Amino acid sequence: MNIIACLRLQRTAYALIFLIVAGSVGTAAQQPASFTASHSGKNEFVIKNATLLTTTHGRIERGSVYVKDGKIMAFGTTVNAPANVTVIDGEGKYVTPGIIDPHSHMALDNDVNEATNPVVPQMLMKDAFDYNDKAIYRALAGGVTSSLLLHGSADMIGGQAIVIKNKYGLDRDQMLFPGAPQSIKFASGENPKRVFGDKKQLPSTRMGNFEVMREAFTQAKDYQRKWDEYNEKVKRGDKTASIPNKDLKLEALNQVLQGKMLVQIHCYRADEFLTEIAIANEFGYKIRAFHHALEAYKVPEAIAQNNIAIATFADWWGYKYEAWDAIPWNADMAMKAGVRVAIKSDSDDYIRRLNQEAAKTMRYGAATEDQAMQMLTLNPAWIMGVDDKTGSIDVGKDADLVLWTGYPLSTYGVPEKVWIDGDVYFDRSLPGLGIPQFQEGQG
Amino acid sequence: MRKTALRWSLVVTLLLGAAVAQQKTASSAKAATTSSAAPTFDPNRPILITGAKLLTITQGTIENGVLVIKKGKITAVGAVGSVRAPANAQVLDAKGMTVYPGLIDSETHLGLTEISAERMTNDLVEPSDEIMPNMHVADAFHAESQLIPVARYNGITNAIVAPESRDTLPGQDSFIQLAGADATQMLLIRDLAMPLNFTGGQRRNESFATASYPQTRMGMAAQMRQAFTDAQTYVVKWDEYNKKKANAKPGESGPNAPQHDLKLEALLPYLEGKKPVIIKAEEPSDVETAYALAQEFKLKVILNGLTHSQSIYDKIASWKVPVILGSIYDAPKSWERYDTVYKMPAELSKRGVKIAFASFEAHQVRNLPYAAGFAVAFGLPYDEAMKALTLYPAQIWGVDDQLGSLDVGKTANLVVANGDPLDVKTDVKYVFIQGRSMPMVNRQTELRDRYSNR
Repeated sequence: MNIIACLRLQRTAYALIFLIVAGSVGTAAQQPASFTASHSGKNEFVIKNATLLTTTHGRIERGSVYVKDGKIMAFGTTVNAPANVTVIDGEGKYVTPGIIDPHSHMALDNDVNEATNPVVPQMLMKDAFDYNDKAIYRALAGGVTSSLLLHGSADMIGGQAIVIKNKYGLDRDQMLFPGAPQSIKFASGENPKRVFGDKKQLPSTRMGNFEVMREAFTQAKDYQRKWDEYNEKVKRGDKTASIPNKDLKLEALNQVLQGKMLVQIHCYRADEFLTEIAIANEFGYKIRAFHHALEAYKVPEAIAQNNIAIATFADWWGYKYEAWDAIPWNADMAMKAGVRVAIKSDSDDYIRRLNQEAAKTMRYGAATEDQAMQMLTLNPAWIMGVDDKTGSIDVGKDADLVLWTGYPLSTYGVPEKVWIDGDVYFDRSLPGLGIPQFQEGQG
Repeated sequence: MRKTALRWSLVVTLLLGAAVAQQKTASSAKAATTSSAAPTFDPNRPILITGAKLLTITQGTIENGVLVIKKGKITAVGAVGSVRAPANAQVLDAKGMTVYPGLIDSETHLGLTEISAERMTNDLVEPSDEIMPNMHVADAFHAESQLIPVARYNGITNAIVAPESRDTLPGQDSFIQLAGADATQMLLIRDLAMPLNFTGGQRRNESFATASYPQTRMGMAAQMRQAFTDAQTYVVKWDEYNKKKANAKPGESGPNAPQHDLKLEALLPYLEGKKPVIIKAEEPSDVETAYALAQEFKLKVILNGLTHSQSIYDKIASWKVPVILGSIYDAPKSWERYDTVYKMPAELSKRGVKIAFASFEAHQVRNLPYAAGFAVAFGLPYDEAMKALTLYPAQIWGVDDQLGSLDVGKTANLVVANGDPLDVKTDVKYVFIQGRSMPMVNRQTELRDRYSNR
């Protein structure tokens, strides 16, 4: 048996062990829930006579939504609400769940990539979160109520993301999505090989890319074993036990291996989806979503079978070689093969009109209104692990809602009001920026 | 009797279409990368488009209209019943469809780039000098670019090709048609206008350590002023020479000819006001500086950009010059409301300015109409939005005798779609350029078909 085969066998054994460990740990690490969840969260109102695009229950003409204590209390053609409650007339207008962008780098003050090492899982995007960035305001004005702020794609294993509610005007910790699971960014393909290849470092090829990942996870397992041995010795009362060093990078990788993080992988090419899936299986972690995923239409079954979502562009292509085979039918073709599809921005520009981008899936292919809405709200919420809290008009969900002047899945629909947790954070009719919470001197 | 004939030709057309579709599937299985499917209509026979909503642009909307294409031209436009079908016409039953003139994109980089990140596929700008009027995009235009059929698929039939705006004077634009056997057929007008960029992005000011002239806007302006001054002097020198030469007596050794200078010669048609410069500037101070410079040399002006110039829209309107709308998707400045730039088309249009939309794109030229639609959502009247994609750019680029509306006698560049051209959901079904039905295939439809039929 040669040494490579030997290593592979070892990896398989590890994979089995860690599959079991991951299974037993189960619940994902969460953002601390100690901060205030919303601005007041006490508003009570009913939106009446609007067309509701619920996302999970189809379209409801002349529908109503009743909101109280930051939650959706009821919705339908009629709702039971107290007689004296504030009424918002939605005549001729549309109500949708807030849009959710599962791939953004806004509000990071250009500190998107710690590109000095291809493995940096100890980076916390929260440390760079510039919560006064006007990009959040502009996204909000486009109806986006939650965003996943990700590390960049220079590194094979990037930093840990934050999930925010776009409550522009509030403080940093008030914007963090309470209870959202921790996501981490991985990358692949041209970006890491270019960044490190230009520095004459590993990786400069896709071979190098993937070996860097295997190396990192192998180190992480060795590290964990040392700690396990140490803890075992301590438990036995062995006085010779000497404490190993604590390494935040390897700690973070072990959290991935233990299934405590949602793995978000920047990945373009069909062959790379397959390799990423194989490596994840080898080391025993799950991939939550492939981001960009422009060639998902070539291998949609493999992606669907592993319960991996994609966060993709509607029609971007040709900006680099690995985007050369991108087609605007990608989202629709992947969806029809059973892949959970989200439309994302990866852009401070497109985040302002993601509704139009999702509408393109109704033209390129034949996504239904519900499917297009799901790509805009529920599916990205699933990618971020918050689909039990937001992403549809459902009783008990957060009152993250948008009132649109016209049909949102078109060029013409424009948000008129945006609520998050039942509070208005954007109102087009207000002067100035249209932000009730905005204080002079901010931003 | 005639009705029967129409129906019959419709059946023939449909059968022909089905055959073409089958052919397409077969060829895509062979991984064809070029658009080779046969056109749906015979260009040598008249085409009758009937039952459609016609957005004529100049004569309003005809709800149930008929349009005839003959020998590459529009030969009849009217309501159903008002137009006689020509003998031998092929019928396109366009009931429920909308027909409109081919869209004109007033700034693209089509044919100058293929894959943005791959340097060898890019010929976007020559950054070695800031004053490069002797660069002609026509020399780099790649007619076989895979991007062109993708843009055309969405109803863009004509475009300005411009260099990137890294230089103050990066070269001369061409006006193209997105169809043709080769570059010669596609380049309808070469060197028809010259960008004059003054956004600040032309400064060579990366850092104090590496900065070179012009490091500032003063430098940019001074350098351009010198260039136009040199061109004026150049004309004087050649005039003097020609005069002396003409007056030289036989046998006398004539005067020495001045050196030829292609850069300065390239500026002459602009100094003479024969062709327009396109001033790209975004903020009021830049707009005013660049406009003043153009006035100094009596240049013919088209404005471009203006994304953050709300405060001088009235003044701009008083200049009576056409405006290429800078991208309405440009990020607002930190002090601007989220919709300040979105409203620019409406605000300029309201002041009577002749406006035209541009994508400023190559890969995403296809999305041009949606910017116009979004501008409608922010106050631009719908008819003005359609004109700013068709008639106004045709006027600005001097081709309105041939393009920009559904009028008898104009070139048959038109689009048949299943709905509102400005909505993202609308699917384009047919594109005609010079009366020829374009194959509705491109690299992307071929990939779609190949992987749908695995």
